[in-house]
Amino acid sequence: MRPLLALVRKEFASLFGAPTAYLTLTMVALVTAIIFFERLKVYNQILIVYATNTMGGFDTDTIPDHINLWDTVFFPVMEALGVTLLAAIPIVTMRVFAEERARGTDELLLTTHLSPWQIVLAKFAVTYAFVVLILAASFVYPATAIEQGGLGLEHLAAVFTGLALLGLGIASIGLVCSAFTSSQLVAAVSGWAAAFVFWDFGWAYSFLNESTANVLERIALHPRFGAFSEGIVAVENVAYFAAISLVAMALARFSFDLRRVGH
Amino acid sequence: MATGASGNTAIRARGLTRRFGDHVALDRLDLAVPERTTFGLLGENGAGKTTFIRLLTGFLLPSAGDVAVFGVSAATQPDVVHRNIGFVMETSRLYPELRVHAFLRFCGGIRNLGGDALETAVASAMERFQLGAVRQRLIGNLSKGYQQRVSLAQAFLHDPALVIVDEPTSGLDPVQQRDVQDVLASLGGEHTVLLCTHDLREAETLTDQVAVLRSGRLIAEGPTGEILGTGDALALFRPGEDPA
Repeated sequence: MRPLLALVRKEFASLFGAPTAYLTLTMVALVTAIIFFERLKVYNQILIVYATNTMGGFDTDTIPDHINLWDTVFFPVMEALGVTLLAAIPIVTMRVFAEERARGTDELLLTTHLSPWQIVLAKFAVTYAFVVLILAASFVYPATAIEQGGLGLEHLAAVFTGLALLGLGIASIGLVCSAFTSSQLVAAVSGWAAAFVFWDFGWAYSFLNESTANVLERIALHPRFGAFSEGIVAVENVAYFAAISLVAMALARFSFDLRRVGH
Repeated sequence: MATGASGNTAIRARGLTRRFGDHVALDRLDLAVPERTTFGLLGENGAGKTTFIRLLTGFLLPSAGDVAVFGVSAATQPDVVHRNIGFVMETSRLYPELRVHAFLRFCGGIRNLGGDALETAVASAMERFQLGAVRQRLIGNLSKGYQQRVSLAQAFLHDPALVIVDEPTSGLDPVQQRDVQDVLASLGGEHTVLLCTHDLREAETLTDQVAVLRSGRLIAEGPTGEILGTGDALALFRPGEDPA
């Protein structure tokens, strides 16, 4: 346990010792804020249009139900945040294993009391914690603002859980890509490509038969997030993201064995 | 079979072979390193020294044969082997973003040292390798000589029975080389030291016994004076030439 905790501490120090972490955190929070205020402006403009056209002011009777804060502002912002994570997380994950390989410090780690499983666990845990931190920094402001609009805390918690699991899913894919290369660039590009492919298979449905399309639909990341955004935390969806995480850890662990065997 | 002051063998390789595709990096190596000696593993670049180290630490699996550290197979029980070894890698294999003291604490932690034992080990290593002046400096900002001292210090934190030192003076200027060699000389007799180098003078100065690899094969082995002190020692490194 002590070696594991020592590695966790070192991973945090390495993560925050490089500018990438701060840049990613700032970038995601900034992009989310810009989209939030842009959507808020659009919402206000719609209200003004209705008020002007109906001469009914902001009386709720004159505004259709689908023009509300959460449908017009909050959920589009959360969708955009999901896509931003898709772009940002591989930048965080690219260095996690690949940098150790490139430096040769993986040999240092692997000749100590640390087991390969502990190395994998520590690196995944720290990356996951950072992804949750990015989300918290980006989510809190729009969520607080929208909470005033009447969306319940439970619903907000479900959306945050969904976003967090989506982020961890993308991080898991990025970490696997990082575990099989010593190039951070290769890790980032393959992380983006793989996460993008797994994001949604809708583009491929026209080429596939129905049963294959159904299978792909079940393994895609984005459709799983859809249920959370409706306020539903389904065990099946949580299990799906947990499975992605476990498979990713097993693959990262396998990358160590593959290196021992060599080529 | 060679034995050291304690009469035991620290490292024993039997028929150790490692292939990378068609390339044979290490070819049926039989080697015994006595305990509590400084043993030099010599050879030109590509002779198989680094491959041997990686097999010894369990980082690679052998294609055939086995290598044992204090009787424990590195292939099947690497975790047990790791408890008894310290590994000094080439200078660049450190964490430049960490400060010296934090790095040594980290290295002690991953070797299962904690509490007072960790503090004592780190303080002792800082004193032994004269790192007090750079305690709070970032490793990436240190000179190569100091980086190598840091690398040496981390390997001795848990007082391992075997220390593997890979090309310790590679890339250092002459003053830094002498500095690191002085540190290595002071370690003699306390630990078993496996020193991998292609610097003959370094091997002559620091080692008790040597083995010479060429193209993955063991071509000479014995006391340093006998192997390097007579004839044309450089012939050991020239492909196609037999040692004098």
